[in-house]
Amino acid sequence: MGRLAAADREDRLLLIGLPILIGVVLIGWIIWRAVADLDDIEARLLTPASVLELTWQHLVIVAVCTVIVVGTAVPMGILLTRGPTRKLSPPIMGLANAGQAAPVIGVIVLLALLLGFGFWVAVLSLTIYAFLPVLANTITGLKGVDRSLVEAARGMGMSDMQVLFRIELPMAVPVILTGVRTALVLLAGAGAFAAFIDAGGLGELIQTGIVMFRYSVLVSGAILVALLALAVEWVGRLVEVYTKPKGLS
Amino acid sequence: MIRFIDERWADILFRSYQHGSLVIQSLILATLIGVGIAVLVTTYRGLSPAANAISAVGLTIPSFALLGLLLPFTGIGVVPSVIAVTFYAVLPILRNAVVGLQSVDGGIIESARGQGMNAMTIFWRVRLPLAWPVIMTGIRVSAQMSMGVAAIAAYVLGPGLGPYIFTGLSTVGGANALNYAVVGTVGIIVVALLLDALLVLFARLTTSKGIRA
Amino acid sequence: MTENHTDTGAQIELIDVVKRYPGQENAAVDDLSLTVPAGETVMFVGPSGCGKTTSLKMINRLIEPTSGQILIDGEDVTTKDATELRRSIGYVIQGGGLMPHMTVAENIGLVPGLLKWEKRRTRDRADELLDMVGLDPSTYRDRYPRELSGGQQQRVGVARGLAADPPVILMDEPFGAVDPITRQRLQDELMNIQAELHKTIVCVTHDIDEAIKLGDRILILKQGGRIAQYDTPEQILSAPSDDFAADFVGSGSKLKQLSLLRVRDLELVRPVTCRVGEDVDEVVARAEEAGEQSVIILDERDRPLEWVFLRTLRRHSTVTDPERELHTVVDHRSTLADALDSMLVSSHGGAMVTEGGRYIGVISYDTVTEHIRSAQNGES
Repeated sequence: MGRLAAADREDRLLLIGLPILIGVVLIGWIIWRAVADLDDIEARLLTPASVLELTWQHLVIVAVCTVIVVGTAVPMGILLTRGPTRKLSPPIMGLANAGQAAPVIGVIVLLALLLGFGFWVAVLSLTIYAFLPVLANTITGLKGVDRSLVEAARGMGMSDMQVLFRIELPMAVPVILTGVRTALVLLAGAGAFAAFIDAGGLGELIQTGIVMFRYSVLVSGAILVALLALAVEWVGRLVEVYTKPKGLS
Repeated sequence: MIRFIDERWADILFRSYQHGSLVIQSLILATLIGVGIAVLVTTYRGLSPAANAISAVGLTIPSFALLGLLLPFTGIGVVPSVIAVTFYAVLPILRNAVVGLQSVDGGIIESARGQGMNAMTIFWRVRLPLAWPVIMTGIRVSAQMSMGVAAIAAYVLGPGLGPYIFTGLSTVGGANALNYAVVGTVGIIVVALLLDALLVLFARLTTSKGIRA
Repeated sequence: MTENHTDTGAQIELIDVVKRYPGQENAAVDDLSLTVPAGETVMFVGPSGCGKTTSLKMINRLIEPTSGQILIDGEDVTTKDATELRRSIGYVIQGGGLMPHMTVAENIGLVPGLLKWEKRRTRDRADELLDMVGLDPSTYRDRYPRELSGGQQQRVGVARGLAADPPVILMDEPFGAVDPITRQRLQDELMNIQAELHKTIVCVTHDIDEAIKLGDRILILKQGGRIAQYDTPEQILSAPSDDFAADFVGSGSKLKQLSLLRVRDLELVRPVTCRVGEDVDEVVARAEEAGEQSVIILDERDRPLEWVFLRTLRRHSTVTDPERELHTVVDHRSTLADALDSMLVSSHGGAMVTEGGRYIGVISYDTVTEHIRSAQNGES
C-alpha cells in the first residue's frame, strides 16, 4: 500500500471513498429492489437477470469503444508529435476541439439516421465522442517530456523508436492514462444513450422509465449508470496510481 | 434542407436563443456558487482535497442519470434542466477557482497585507484579479459541457435545440427526420462556438493587461 | 569502435566544417578546422551564439554539418549510422540529464544496454562507475534521480557518459547547474578520472576559469564559430592572440594566473594526523609535542574526514568520525584559485590536499600568499 500513501490526498480520498460510496448505494438499491412493492411492468424490467444483461451490454459497449479509442488516438497522438505529420497537429486539434462542442446525443442520432440503428453505430458515435481526451492528453503528455532528456537519449545513441518507447512514452504515461480515464468515464455515462438507437445498455431502464412513467425504473437505471461510471473512475484512478513510473513524483 | 430551415427560421432562432440563454443563466449561477465555494475551500485549506474529490465524483455522474434522478423531485420542464446544467457547470469552475486562488503567490498577498489591505480588499483587488484567467478557463470548459447537458435536458422537455434532435429520432424514416437532427446538432455547435467566442472576448476585457497571456 | 576496454582516447579532427541553418543569413559555424589530440581535454568557450554547442553536437551528429568532414580516429563520422556512432561517444549534459523514471543504475546502464551487454556485466559496470564518481553503489544504485542532490545527479551523469568506456566524451556545460563549491569538487573528480583514463574530452563551458582548470587546450570561438585562439591555458593567459581573446579571458589580472598554478606545484605542510578509533589523549600529546593546536582525522582508506581543534577532539575519549560534509579539501590538481576559495571557509588557515581521494598534506594560506608575492616581485 506504499503507492497509496504516496498518492496525493485527492486520489487517496477517492480511492478509499469511491468503493464505499458505490458499495453503500448498490446495497441500498438491492435491498430496495428486494422489498419494494413493484407492479408487473416494473418487476419485469428489474429482474436480476435483465439488469445483469443490460449491465453486461453496457460494459461491452464501453470496453469496445475504449479499445478502439486507445488503439487509434494514442498512435495518432504519437504521429502528430513527430516527423512531417507534426505540422498537421494544430488544424487537427482545432477541428477536434470544435467537434467537442457537438452534443453526443446529436452525434448518435445523426449517425443512426444516416447509417442505421444498432450496436456498431452506437460504438462508432461514442468512439468519436471519447477520441479527443485521449488524443489531446497523448499530445500534451508527449510534448511535456523535457526536450533536453530526449536529446540526451539521442546523444547516447538511442534510435527514434527506442527514444519513443523507453523515454517519451513512459514519461507521458501518467498524462495519457488521465485522458483514458476521462474517456472511460465519458463512455460509461454516454453509453446510456445507446439505448436510444436500440443498442441496449442500462440507458434502456432510464428511457423506458420515462416513456412509461415508471419512476422506480427510471431512478434504478440512473443509479446503476452512475454507479458504473463511478466504478470506472475508481478503477481508472487505481490503475493511474499503480502504473505511474516510480521515479516520477 | 434549405427549405426546411427556411420554413422554421424563426423557430430555430428562438430555440437557439433559449438554448444559449439557459446555458448562460446557469453559467452565471454556477460561477457564483463555484467561486463562493472555492473561497471557502481556499480559506480553510484542509477542505480542498475534499472539494476536488467531490467535483471529480460529480463530473463522473452521467448527465442523463442525474436528470433521471432529478425528475421524480422536480417534475418535467425547465427546473430540472436548470438544476442539472448548473450542477455540472459548477464543477469545472470550482476546480479551476481553487487552483487559481491557491496559486496566487504568497509574497504578493504578504505585501498587500503589509500595505494595510484587509482580507476583503485583498480578495477583490489582488486574489480574484490574479486568479481570474484560470477561473475564466473553467467557465469556458463549463460552457461547452453545459451545451451538451442542455441538449440532453431536452429529453425531459426542457427548452432549446435539444428537442429537434429527439424529434429527428422519433420520426425516423420520416422526410424531415434527418433535417431535424442536423439542425439540432449543428445549431448547438454554432451556439456553443458563439458563446465560446463571447467568453474569450469577455475574458480579455476582464483580465488585467499585466497578466494576459 | 568496439566495446572493448580502450586505454586512451581517439583523435578528433574537424575539417572545414560549416553549419548553416535554412533562412539564416550567417552560418552558425563557418569553416571550422580543428584537431583534438587523442587523450586530451579541450574546452570550447566563447560568448553565447558563438557556435560552441553547435560544434560540439556536430561531433556526435545531434546536429548534421552542412558541409565539411569530422573524423574520429581517422574515420568520417558521416559514414556511420548516427545511433551506432553515438553509442561509441560519451555524452554528458548540464544537470546530468538523467531519466527520471529510471534508477541510477538503469541510467548508467542505458548505453551498455543498447550495446547488448550482459545484465551482469552492466550491473557490475554501474557499481564500478558509481564508486569512481564517489557515490557508494549500495546506497545509490537503486535510487531515482529526484532522490539525489544536484551534485549527485551530475556525478551520475558523468558516470553514464563513461559507461560503455567510449574513447571520446562530449560534455555540454556539465557543471553549469550546481553551486560553486560542488562545481569545484566535480571538476576535481573529473580531473582525477581523466588522469586515470585519458579519454578525449570535448567540453563546452561558459566559465573561463573552468576552461583554464580542466583544459589541456582551450578553444575560444567568436561569432559564427570562427577561431579566436586555440592553445594551452598558459599561452592563452600570457599571450592572447587578439583583443577578443584578451577580453574574453579578462587578461591582465594577476589572479587569473592563480588558475594556472596547481596545488601540487607548491610545497605542502604535514600537520599531525590521526585515525578514527585512536585514543584522544595520545593524539593530543602527539600534537602538543609538535606544537600544534589541531589535527586531521583520516579514515581507514586515508581519506580526510575533518580538521579539528584539540579542544573539540577532547570532547570524546576516542577519535570519532564527525560525519560532516567537508568543504576545505582540494585535489592536488586543483588550481590555487580553488585552494584560496576553500581556505576562505577554513578556520585553520589552509586546505587539506588529496590525491585520488587520499590525504597527502595541507596547503597553507601563507604558502600561497608567499608564492604570489614572490611571483609579483620577480616580475616587477
